[in-house]
Amino acid sequence: MEDIKAYIESGILELYVLGDVSREEKLQVEEMAKNHQVIRAELNEIERSLELYAEENSIEPSVNLRSRVLNSLLTNLGDDNTFNKKPVEINENVIALPDQETGGFYKYAFAACLALLVASSVALVSMYNRLQESNTQLAALQLDKQHFANRVNLMDEQLLVFRDASFKFLKLQATPKAPAGANITIAWSPVKKKVMIDMETMKMPVNDKNHQYQLWALVNGKPVDLGVFDKNPDSTNMKEMKPIALADAFAVTLEPRGGSTTPTMDEMMVIGKF
Amino acid sequence: MSGKRKISLSEDELVLALRNREKIAIEALYDMYSSSLYGVICRIVIDIPTSEDVLQETFVKIWNSFSGYSAEKGRLFTWMVNIARNLAIDKIRSKDFKNQNKNQDLENNVTFIDEQKNTVYKPELLGIKELVTTLKPEQRSILDLVYFKGYTHVEAADELGIPLGTIKTRLRMAIQQLRKHFN
Repeated sequence: MEDIKAYIESGILELYVLGDVSREEKLQVEEMAKNHQVIRAELNEIERSLELYAEENSIEPSVNLRSRVLNSLLTNLGDDNTFNKKPVEINENVIALPDQETGGFYKYAFAACLALLVASSVALVSMYNRLQESNTQLAALQLDKQHFANRVNLMDEQLLVFRDASFKFLKLQATPKAPAGANITIAWSPVKKKVMIDMETMKMPVNDKNHQYQLWALVNGKPVDLGVFDKNPDSTNMKEMKPIALADAFAVTLEPRGGSTTPTMDEMMVIGKF
Repeated sequence: MSGKRKISLSEDELVLALRNREKIAIEALYDMYSSSLYGVICRIVIDIPTSEDVLQETFVKIWNSFSGYSAEKGRLFTWMVNIARNLAIDKIRSKDFKNQNKNQDLENNVTFIDEQKNTVYKPELLGIKELVTTLKPEQRSILDLVYFKGYTHVEAADELGIPLGTIKTRLRMAIQQLRKHFN
């Protein structure tokens, strides 16, 4: 009993409670406490007084800390409950799709779009070219058509001259001044007062730039100006001259370009009388 | 603080509830012991955010290693306060904490000092003043070094320049004094 008292008084129990003992001392104290009720009681007293001392010196932690600490512990508790079971394998029936597939699709789609774009551009350019070509051809055809329409009109007009019974035809024969064989055919309708020269059948020397042929009508011995014309080898039409209702004869002289008011008799080329 | 209803259980009930991992045990544990444990932690760590971290770690450790506690070996609080003290000492001896302390700027120190003052003059701590008269200064300095500063009795002997035997005796006398005071 003396030993126990000395043991208590050594202060080892206080150090034990303060956690300031070696492992051997700790085991020793626990052994003693188990065997001796007095030591057990003494330890309890020391613990209680230090607990109360701590309570006296307590510091209230901030209010927020309570929920923070409790949450971290409750999360822990939740984890314990939730994860003690073996996690169920959930992806057994899931067929993994290679995510390459969708990416590949879009890649090809994009390539296809690009190819289409290029092809369309080429087609557009070629179509445009052909359209231009067609337009040119169309313009040429229209020009042709216009040309033929003009020609047909002219022919109609000429045909009308031939059909019209009021027209008289007169062949003006060459004078000594003109080359042999020169002649001009004119058509004259006194009713319609129209005079026309057939340019196609006209056989005359080609006039130079400074001179023109001039047609005259002789009315009661006096010359009347009926207009000027050129000898053009390509001419195929009939040229309408100034109108006249009465005429005894027709003659052509070579005059300075633009014509003269009175005929130069020396230069008379052809003449014809009714 | 005061508005919230605090849960309180007897120590036996609490130990049983903790053993059964009941939710209510966690709240009761915190409400009954957080301020006492925080008082010890704060005096060792000083820095408030770190003290709060240590308090949280303490409760996590209590909860996770509760199977290691046995009522035959002592009171629940004794077991818990040793966990808190060890975690607090580990913290202040860690490299991070030492670096952090070096870097603490003046501004932080001002608020820190203010907070310390507030803590010291909290009305619920008025009992300390009675204790001051109860404990002799030399008893109190040793008890506080070991209990609240985390010194071993050997370190305390070095610190105070007092032989080990004397330390042990004074420590015992201080605790005897407390027992008398609380009875």
